[in-house]
Amino acid sequence: MTELVWQRTPLLTIGFFIAKEVRNLVRNITNFIPVLAAIFVSNSEWLPYAVIGGYLVFIMVSAILNHRFFLYALADDAVHLRTGVFGKKSLTLKYERIQQAELDQSWYFRPFDLVILRVDSAGSAGKEVEIPGLPIGLAQDLRQRMLAQTNTNQAYSELAIADSEKTEPPADTEMTFSMSEIVRAGIMDNKIFVLLAVLIYPLSQTDVLEETLVPWLEANVSFIEESLWLNIGLAVAALSLLFILAIGVTLVRYYNLHFSILNERYQARSGLFTIRTVSFRYQKLQRVQLRQNLRGRLLKRFSVRVSQLQPSAHAQQQSGSSSFVLPVLTQNLVEELGNWLKLPRSANLDWQGISFIALLNPSFWIALIAPALALTAYANDIPLITGLISAALIWFAIQAYAIARWHNYGFTINNGWLAIKRGVFGRKENWYPLHKAQQIDVYQSPWLRLLGYADVLVHTAAGPEVIKYQPVSSALAMQREWSTMIGSNHQRWM
Amino acid sequence: MAIAWKPVEPSYKTYLQIIVLIDMSILALIAIGIYVFVPSTDWLPNPLWFGIPWAALTLFFGLFWASRRFQFTAYARSHEAMYLRRGALWRLTRAVPLNRIQHVEVRQGFIERMLGLAHLTLYTAGSGGADLSIPGLKLNDAEQMKATLVNTIAEEPIEESSHD
Repeated sequence: MTELVWQRTPLLTIGFFIAKEVRNLVRNITNFIPVLAAIFVSNSEWLPYAVIGGYLVFIMVSAILNHRFFLYALADDAVHLRTGVFGKKSLTLKYERIQQAELDQSWYFRPFDLVILRVDSAGSAGKEVEIPGLPIGLAQDLRQRMLAQTNTNQAYSELAIADSEKTEPPADTEMTFSMSEIVRAGIMDNKIFVLLAVLIYPLSQTDVLEETLVPWLEANVSFIEESLWLNIGLAVAALSLLFILAIGVTLVRYYNLHFSILNERYQARSGLFTIRTVSFRYQKLQRVQLRQNLRGRLLKRFSVRVSQLQPSAHAQQQSGSSSFVLPVLTQNLVEELGNWLKLPRSANLDWQGISFIALLNPSFWIALIAPALALTAYANDIPLITGLISAALIWFAIQAYAIARWHNYGFTINNGWLAIKRGVFGRKENWYPLHKAQQIDVYQSPWLRLLGYADVLVHTAAGPEVIKYQPVSSALAMQREWSTMIGSNHQRWM
Repeated sequence: MAIAWKPVEPSYKTYLQIIVLIDMSILALIAIGIYVFVPSTDWLPNPLWFGIPWAALTLFFGLFWASRRFQFTAYARSHEAMYLRRGALWRLTRAVPLNRIQHVEVRQGFIERMLGLAHLTLYTAGSGGADLSIPGLKLNDAEQMKATLVNTIAEEPIEESSHD
């Protein structure tokens, strides 16, 4: 083995460490509630500034220290890391144990052709390692090497190394999404309500609105009060502005989305400022989620999310940034993707519904709504007829929704895939390779036992899925059949 | 072919009853603490309002629930999978295919040790916590099952196929 050459990341990467500290702050913001309370109670002039200033200094100092003490070395078969200011940590990651290696081109590194290498290893701890500020060429080489090593056997991997010394081979399938498609994605996956909540919360906490804005409006634009339509128009304009802003968020995230398949490795690159790459290998696929919300149905577009094994709860929390998502797909593309992923998805799938008995329990609770509403209306001096009619209408709407939900639910087993579809306004299909399921439960509450039914829960590495209201005997038969099938299937599952 | 369920040790019932007693006495201690140490207890109802339901619950859990749970708890092992059923009112039958087991663990709590019991826990990648935990086994049996399971897992063949 050759001597390790310990390297420090470039000075520029201090920005990365600062960003990391800030992220930590945001994540642990609840820890600061006592401090905030103290500031609030003490009512002193200088305390808030002192706390903010102190924290800024702390961030700077710890970022500089973390940068000073972050050392990495690249050997032929492993990455070595030495980190930590007070508590030292030494980490060795063998290439062959690496599950995932992605390159993030952060906006603050892009002008300098530097990237962040993000590496996930297997294991229950789900260790994630980030090496910031690698030159892009070196990082690409390294990534190739890591991924090649994880591929099957030694002889092949050496071949692949030799291969990767050159450039990345051309992909089998490539596709770039146009701007208009991304805008459609923005309309479908609109975070307008999230944005609204983010904006409204701080406003509601301060008195800016009541003390400044409202008097100002009353004083200066009194004509607003005169016209109801003007008010409505203003509200609509504000909401559409937010809607467009929310589309902008999607645009920043998915700008120039580029999708490719190479050697069973699926990859998506996108981003306006920060270019992110996410990828998965077909072998590791645990779940395919096909989604279409109401806007998606109007635009005739789908979105697809592919999940892999998520080793820890920690990783599941941050799955938002690392899972493989194609936000906008036409019907044709969905079918093509289904072919590539070998989903047995076709028009004549034998979707099985569940027994109408499943409606009994929700209907009972929904039926309680109408009398409860009518009583409340009566107690509040609302005319009896109005109260009764609106209660009946609301009951009817909810009951109809429950029936539609039950009607649209279905599951099917086809070619070793378990699929579940659901949704009333939007549509959702989850596909699981059944031979990768981890455990199968049959669950019976006293109510289900009374009826002679049971729920079947399939726990997969990407999360649990439930098939409700199966007759007990067939539920137990399913459990037995599937677990025998999985137990005698010796294909790799991760 | 039906699953050959094996019952757990009878002392598992005693174990459940002890657990019930401990939990219920903690509740009782809290209630007694409130009645003794809170200065004015006028606003509290007569202690019997708590005492009688408490006694009823203790009897229910100690006699009915513990024996039902003991009766239903059983495990089975087929060639491909490990099965466990448990619960008294809410019942769960769980199957874990042997080739999905990540690791195996034998554990013994304080009360279990007094009764000479242990439980065997199998972990999979399916959910965060413990996945299949067989309670009420003799320590020896548990150790032996663990050894056989570990052997089976180690001998598991893996097909290197690219077409899965």
